Amino acid sequence: MPATDVDFEREFEELVRDLRALPTAAPTDVRERVRALGEPARPRTLHDLLLTLSLPRSLLVLAPVCVLALVSAAVIHGLVNSSGNSGHTASAKQPLDLRAQAEHGAAGGTSTTPVFGALAKPLAPSLPTPAAGRYQDYEASLTVRVKDVDALHDRTAEATQLARTYGGYVASVDESTNSGNGRSDLVLRIPVNRVEDAYFRLARLGTVTEQHLSIRDLDQVVQTQRRRIVQLKVQIARIDEALKSSSLPADVRLRLELQRDAAKQELAQVTGSNKATLREASLSRISLTLTSQKAAVATKGGMSRIERAARDAGSFLAGAGAVVLFLLIVLSPLIVLALAWILGSRAYRRREERRLLSAA
Amino acid sequence: MKAVNAVTTSWPGLRVDRPTFSAVAESELDAVHRYLLFLTGNRTVAEDLTGETFEKAFRIWRRFDPRRGTPRAWLCGIARTTALDHFRSEERRRRREERYARDLPDAEETALGSGELETALGRLSAAEREVVALRVLLELDGPTVARVLGISTTACSTRLSRALKRLEEMMRDARD
Repeated sequence: MPATDVDFEREFEELVRDLRALPTAAPTDVRERVRALGEPARPRTLHDLLLTLSLPRSLLVLAPVCVLALVSAAVIHGLVNSSGNSGHTASAKQPLDLRAQAEHGAAGGTSTTPVFGALAKPLAPSLPTPAAGRYQDYEASLTVRVKDVDALHDRTAEATQLARTYGGYVASVDESTNSGNGRSDLVLRIPVNRVEDAYFRLARLGTVTEQHLSIRDLDQVVQTQRRRIVQLKVQIARIDEALKSSSLPADVRLRLELQRDAAKQELAQVTGSNKATLREASLSRISLTLTSQKAAVATKGGMSRIERAARDAGSFLAGAGAVVLFLLIVLSPLIVLALAWILGSRAYRRREERRLLSAA
Repeated sequence: MKAVNAVTTSWPGLRVDRPTFSAVAESELDAVHRYLLFLTGNRTVAEDLTGETFEKAFRIWRRFDPRRGTPRAWLCGIARTTALDHFRSEERRRRREERYARDLPDAEETALGSGELETALGRLSAAEREVVALRVLLELDGPTVARVLGISTTACSTRLSRALKRLEEMMRDARD
């Protein structure tokens, strides 16, 4: 046994020195054999580099790359989607020459003029004036947000009263409330010559979130109907005149009488249609929706492009996350098996190494 | 002619300065042989395995990445795998021979040497001899040796101190 620490240190140094002094240099034949190998001819390729990557190292590289790719895809998705929506917003903000459009529709026959769709901001109501002297089917729809359910009842009653005030009537009312939210759908018929005033009064019932206008020109329809009425009246008068003659053969008389009856029937029909068309042209139809709900569409429209892009990117990432989670759940048994196999084979290999080294 | 001892391999963004294989083989041959000699405890086997190790290293030289470790540690890893393969095939051979030729005497093997130290080394296990070779003779650091052996650094230093203690005891007994 070494007497002191100094002895121990000395013995240890001697041992190391002796170990290093052992003749362990490679013999000449081995040296020549190794020298004969020379230099590998083929240069390193990317494939060789990839082969040097271990699994943990690969995961360390791949995981951030995948996350980065996913985030980039989400950002691009968000930007592309937000720019797609911006066109809609632009059209909403763009001032429209509605009066000109209405006139154009009148001149060109039948046209439908959308005023605004889903809008970015609460709207200032705008409405083209009906063209004077022309018959037009004038339809407007208006969505107005009110404060709460109590206000909804009051505004519904007010709208009904307004329709009567302007000489119109309420074609239908449908009011419903559900868990603090409510909605009233009214169809009001207002004389066309007073529709503008009525429309602006209705718009002031709350915050306009959506409005839409449709003008269909009926002038040509009315003229056609009138011409047909005149033609039929002339035809009936001629037949009546012909029937006054006593020299008509019986079969001709019968045929003329049948023609006159058919003409009278058609006249009655065309006259009825004409009256309906005139009635349609004299009363506008306003579909009014009063709601106490916060309009989701209005909220969406109210967001800036960056907010929309962020929201779209977020939903894209959430979707990708859901897919990854789904894959993890589906593949988890395989992953567990693979991990067990890797750990098991590693443990087996170490045990085998220990056994071989102890036997050697 | 000027000897080329290092080459530079570059891909876009990946620039690696690597020594040439022949330079590495020249400088590390003795170290690898020393390690294999200690691991196997047999000069003839160590010589064969040294040649095999360098042939294997020559074939996969392109995969060597100097950023991940020294050429010596990389070569020792290959040498160890080669030695383990040798032990495995020897074990199979012995099993076959035991089955068919039980009566044949063991072939005479060339030991480390005939001195006291060589005898003491021969009585250590191969695992103990290899850790002594790697740490004391080849002077590799603890984490590198642990990586080559596939064990933790603590296990590596424990094995080394146990091996040296046994060696010292055996040497002391031999002197006494």
